[in-house]
Amino acid sequence: MALSLLAPAALALSALAVLPLLAHLARQTPRDRRAFGAMLLLDRVVKRLRRRRRVKDPLLLLLRVLALLFVVFAVSGAQFSYPGGVPEFGGSGKVIVVLDRSMSMSLSDGGSTLFARAKTEAEQVVRNLPDGTLVDVVTFAGDASRLAPSLTTDRQRVLGALDEVQPTAGGSNLRAALLEARTLLGGEKGEVILFSDEAGPRMVGDAGQEVQRLVALGSAIIPRPIRADPPRNVAVTSAKYGDGIEGGQVTVRVTNYGPDPTEVPCEVVLPDGAQIPIFVQLPPEGEAEQRITVPREAKGGVGRATCHDPDLPFDDSRYFHLPRIGASRVLVVDGDPGDTPTRSEVYFLERALAPWGGLRTGVRPDVTTPEGLAHLDPEVHRVVFIANVADPRPFGPRLVEFVRKGGSIVISGGDNVTADRYNAAFGSILPSPIRKPRSLVAEGEPGVPLMLPSASDELFAPFARSGRSGFAKVRASRMLTLEPYQDTPKAASGARASEGVDTLLRWEGGLPALVQRRVGKGRVLLWTSTFDLGWTNFPLQAVYMPLVQRLVSYLGGEAGGNAARFDGIVGEQVKIPLPDVVMEPTVQGPSGTPVRSHVDGSSLVFSPEKAGAYAVTLESGPPIAWVAVNVSPDESDVRSYDSVGEVERDLDPSLFTKQVDLAPGLFGLGLLLLVVQGLIATRGVS
Amino acid sequence: MPWDPTVLSRVRHLHLRARTLTDDLMMGEHRSRRVGSAVEFADYQEYLPGMDLRHLDWRVLARSDRLVVKRFETETQLPCTVVLDLSGDLGTGSKAERGYPPLEGSKAGYAITLAATLLYFLHRHGEPVGLEIVGGSDRLHESLPPRGGRNHLQLLFLTLASVRPGGRADLAAALTRVGARTRRRSWVGVISDGMEEPSAWLPALGAFARRGTDLRFVHLYDRAEWTLDYRTPALFFSPEGGDALAVDPSGAREAFEEVVDEYVAEVRSGVVRWGGQYLLVPTDQPMEQVLRQVIVGYTDTSGATWR
Repeated sequence: MALSLLAPAALALSALAVLPLLAHLARQTPRDRRAFGAMLLLDRVVKRLRRRRRVKDPLLLLLRVLALLFVVFAVSGAQFSYPGGVPEFGGSGKVIVVLDRSMSMSLSDGGSTLFARAKTEAEQVVRNLPDGTLVDVVTFAGDASRLAPSLTTDRQRVLGALDEVQPTAGGSNLRAALLEARTLLGGEKGEVILFSDEAGPRMVGDAGQEVQRLVALGSAIIPRPIRADPPRNVAVTSAKYGDGIEGGQVTVRVTNYGPDPTEVPCEVVLPDGAQIPIFVQLPPEGEAEQRITVPREAKGGVGRATCHDPDLPFDDSRYFHLPRIGASRVLVVDGDPGDTPTRSEVYFLERALAPWGGLRTGVRPDVTTPEGLAHLDPEVHRVVFIANVADPRPFGPRLVEFVRKGGSIVISGGDNVTADRYNAAFGSILPSPIRKPRSLVAEGEPGVPLMLPSASDELFAPFARSGRSGFAKVRASRMLTLEPYQDTPKAASGARASEGVDTLLRWEGGLPALVQRRVGKGRVLLWTSTFDLGWTNFPLQAVYMPLVQRLVSYLGGEAGGNAARFDGIVGEQVKIPLPDVVMEPTVQGPSGTPVRSHVDGSSLVFSPEKAGAYAVTLESGPPIAWVAVNVSPDESDVRSYDSVGEVERDLDPSLFTKQVDLAPGLFGLGLLLLVVQGLIATRGVS
Repeated sequence: MPWDPTVLSRVRHLHLRARTLTDDLMMGEHRSRRVGSAVEFADYQEYLPGMDLRHLDWRVLARSDRLVVKRFETETQLPCTVVLDLSGDLGTGSKAERGYPPLEGSKAGYAITLAATLLYFLHRHGEPVGLEIVGGSDRLHESLPPRGGRNHLQLLFLTLASVRPGGRADLAAALTRVGARTRRRSWVGVISDGMEEPSAWLPALGAFARRGTDLRFVHLYDRAEWTLDYRTPALFFSPEGGDALAVDPSGAREAFEEVVDEYVAEVRSGVVRWGGQYLLVPTDQPMEQVLRQVIVGYTDTSGATWR
């Protein structure tokens, strides 16, 4: 609010305000003297009037000064400016109605949804436009589209198309909608009436540039916010399997966007249909996290975490990938069954992989002899520990094929390991050819310790918070040596290439301790010492068990076939790299019906319209990929952060300011005050 | 001063005016409050129009063809005193001038003429007359007790002709003093503007009531003053002293009228409560009407009435 003057110089006339003051002072001392014989009566009159005069004289003075000031301000052209809410529309002849049909507009409020209210109001606006007004409607969710190809005066046609518009579960791409509106205006001035809840933390901010461009054209965006009061919504904002060294839990995060605390019933549904019910207590405008341990064995695929709330059903479920969970995904090949536990790799590996006998964790290692490798099933075992096997050559090709298809093997040193046999069996997948073992220290001396691993390395990320220092306590007295090799340099982003060699751990002095080679989807890890106490104290150190378990999850030890896993957002394109096959995959939606897709270059592209598990299949075979499609988390946040009106006001405050010419009113008021003071003055003033 | 030509002129004027007014009046009998109880014959008096014909001496008429009435002792001795307020406030109002006030139109002149006429009339009826002047510029509290005789009347006229308004009346003290001197069953006429706090001087009338005095209070006022008939604001002041007041007559007129009404009602009720008769007289009212009312108690159509 502000007061402005067209002619500020005229304020100098306010000096005339002293005139009533002088007049009042002058009135107090009349010049004439008059002998009067009834002063007794006059004294009585004065006493009677004194009370009135005490109020009356200052009142008169005030009225006269005010009257004069009002007239002076009127002459000065006083104008009063105040925030006018939203710009008024009409007059430009070009009106574009922008209708938000994103997921958040499906919020229930007062028996209907925000979208229904917005649509009704939009129809009224279009219906009441003056004849001859050019009009079109732009709807938007994850993308924007116009109802008529160009601006038209045919309102009935626009109304008919508007009637067909339905809400979606997509995002809120206001920027695209305003761009569409600007395109429709063709660079000319127009009025954009926006029906939206303006909800979410990014919706308005992302559209700021388009708002600026429209305002720069001289156009006005007229926001018509459609909001619930207060907005309430409970949404599952995250569901993820495995977040520890070993995994085995689904972490569900539920967020309450409403102002009141609430408790909602939830359930986690696994791909095999198993249901795990839970209740989640939520603080006002806060979130809660629940961890649900999945069964020891579970089918891989896409699971669902659902929390029921009546306000906005679209975001009650969140889909997540669940690898096949079984107790038999790790195979330990015992090449040297020792006569004492301390001389047996299997003894230590079994206890590290399944400390409670496989009852509590998802890993139950199978132990076999080298001959057992003849029955290696990649669908069952994804990680194979080759523990001090003397001659792996009979099974070399099978293991190489196993790795090329995505399996992983961990090779450790030992007295039975001979370089020639191993190089012959695994030469094509070893990080580097093996040489003969060598002692690192003299007998009786403490071994060489490990250097601390890099906390940024994916394998050691879980040790970043604690446990990393324990690596320095691992010492080795003997190790396998390797032919010289070079680590494959990382990309600029820090990511490793799909093929290459990486030294993950080194002994002090730089000799390699744990070396990885990536072969296609599979990996080969070479531990240059032993998994028992033969050459190292590693099994007795605290890091032994977590590192071994971490190796399993790191190497993709979760069995689940070869199905790739992708994520998508409702309303946005999902691009899946095409596999090296001739046939074109098809996409099946959550209900099993085919979803329209097409090949774009080397990717399969489709646009999911609702959340759920989408399967990419080749003919009628098993899925080659699962796509967990969820709604945008931003859409679940039904609270308003910014408004288009505020952005527009910052750009052009005049659009939101109304001015009132005060001059006529002030002039009339001044005259009125003069009349009033005149009436008062003539009543008994002395 | 008594031989000042102006004063002598005023005496003649007063005398002439009083005689004219008296002659114009329908002369009437001054009825005794004790009529019927008088038994002792005193003398004869030449009949004057208005006298009670019951007292006409038919025998004298038959013998000498003269109209005479019989007078009794009790009727001959009605001391009459005129109390004349000539305080400074009487010097204001219409036609007010410095020096001797005009005998017509001004408050003081009106009061003097009225007093002179009353005294003359009463003297003509053979009553002993006296004069008490309250206030006055140089004759404060002049006191001339009731007496008979032409010389005394001339002295009264000379006094009236030479007095000018001034000073304070101090009505309470003056009336108390006069009341204390007044004989029982006498006649007292008070001519005053009453411009002192009524609650202060009205109780002084109790002295007259206790003596059975026939009290008549002539409340004199100037119509212009009591209606604030002035056009311009001015600094109003009393000749008797006190603070001056800046007054806008147009603004104060309405409230002033209310105060006047309350004041008149207060004085009237006070006079009546003490057994007196009250007459409100503006200075523009014809003197003849006033005289008739004062003397005869007659109520005419002017609206001015006793009580």
